[in-house]
Amino acid sequence: MVKEKKYEDLIIQVGELQLQLNEALETIEAIRSGEVDAFVVKNGHGNQIYTLRSADFNYRIFIEKMAEGAVTLNKEGLILYCNSSFAKMLGLSLAEVLGVPFETFIPVGYKKLINKMVTRGWREECKAEIILPGENNKEIPVLLSINPLDTDVDPSMSIIVTDLSFQKQSQAQQIEMDKKDEFITIASHELRTPVTSIKGYIQLLKYTFMQEGNKVAAELLTKADLQVNKLTSLINDLLDVKKMEKGQLIYHEAHFDFNCLVKEMLEETGRTIHHHTIHCELDTTGMVYGDRNKVGQVISNFIDNAAKYSAAGTPIYVKTVYKDTTILLSVQDAGMGIPKDQQQKIFDRFFRVSGDKENTYSGLGLGLYISKEIINRHYGYIGVDSEPGKGSTFYFVLPITAAHDES
Amino acid sequence: MKAKRIFIADDDDDILSILTLMLKTKGYEVQASTNANKVFEQGSQLPDLILLDIWMSGIDGRDVCNRLKKDAAMKDIPVIFVSANSQLEEIALACKASDYISKPFEMDYLLDRIQLNLNIQQE
Repeated sequence: MVKEKKYEDLIIQVGELQLQLNEALETIEAIRSGEVDAFVVKNGHGNQIYTLRSADFNYRIFIEKMAEGAVTLNKEGLILYCNSSFAKMLGLSLAEVLGVPFETFIPVGYKKLINKMVTRGWREECKAEIILPGENNKEIPVLLSINPLDTDVDPSMSIIVTDLSFQKQSQAQQIEMDKKDEFITIASHELRTPVTSIKGYIQLLKYTFMQEGNKVAAELLTKADLQVNKLTSLINDLLDVKKMEKGQLIYHEAHFDFNCLVKEMLEETGRTIHHHTIHCELDTTGMVYGDRNKVGQVISNFIDNAAKYSAAGTPIYVKTVYKDTTILLSVQDAGMGIPKDQQQKIFDRFFRVSGDKENTYSGLGLGLYISKEIINRHYGYIGVDSEPGKGSTFYFVLPITAAHDES
Repeated sequence: MKAKRIFIADDDDDILSILTLMLKTKGYEVQASTNANKVFEQGSQLPDLILLDIWMSGIDGRDVCNRLKKDAAMKDIPVIFVSANSQLEEIALACKASDYISKPFEMDYLLDRIQLNLNIQQE
């Protein structure tokens, strides 16, 4: 039989429960305010320890690991806390920074500004760009972002210090690049203007000699004109590279007969290649969609290179192979060849194969770079097979857009 | 048939004389000037076609072209930019020029384009 509880017993029991509840509330409050790091709970197996990871633990890691400097100041302007990034910026240890007035690190020229900012910073967010003295007297441009911290305890202020060195440096580089581009734009204009007059006079003279029936003189002027064209294409290469880098090169795309273009390029390059025999083996043709002139530029670049880097009297083979939905063009020479380790680099800007008498070969090192860009833009690929001493085969593959029945 | 009249503006004397000589040989009537604004002083003798440079020592061919396109009497005269400017194509498009020829040019190509633009104009 259960004995009925007396009123007094119940009062005592309620009092005990009240105590336990208060204790639990206090514990929760202590956990919340971060006063407790761990607590022990007794159970049947002994003591179990629970460690408490404070809520701001994750944020502390963020702050410690971020590239920006983070600083908190008290009302007197002393550094209460800072992350290692800030100390590192100044080239100091944490101990050398903590507890020191923030003002200590500000160069004389900026002290007035910073004092003003800090005063304002107690009320509202404010920003300033200044120079901080770094390690070995290095000047570090930084952005200070000052915020009042809203805490229950003593008022404090946070300062985020962003290192702008890299940004400033890339801005400076950008300005340099822009200057270089502007120079190329103006230089190409200035070079082309007199070339226009020279070419104009050559063509006028040629016209006159033709009228007079002086074929020899006209022929000589044709040769002079071809040299002017070479000069023009060198100037154009410089401009093309600049435009490619800026994505400004305009492509005029249309369907065109591939073999037709190859034949045209053979004829054009043939006019300046006198010491090589060019053998041509063209497969059934196909229609390619793209910029005809620019693809032609790649073909003539291949043929010109083949002639330039192989001995007089050696043959050059120009081939097209139609396969599935692609067309391959290759230009093979029996020249000096390219060492394996340089074969991929030859498509880089300004790259020229290094080796014996490298400087005796003319060229700016832009042709293959431009060629690669053009072929890539046409969803094709470009490459080379080569063995030093035996020769090179340059090729590109382009997708064919329509049936290849036209020829 | 009456000879077609072509106005050429270029700040380079050599280019002016080369073009003048060639076009005259081909039977055109030519007005050439280093001052592009002279094109607005042609009175009733309006040109049938205008060859225009872009950078002309103090005169910008774009301004001249834009002014031409706003001129009631001259807005339909075909303008061909002939220039060594690297942005030639974009400029020609933006200024609603009929055509553009990049310097240095092949004389035959220039003559073809002039003829073509005159033919289009006639139609």
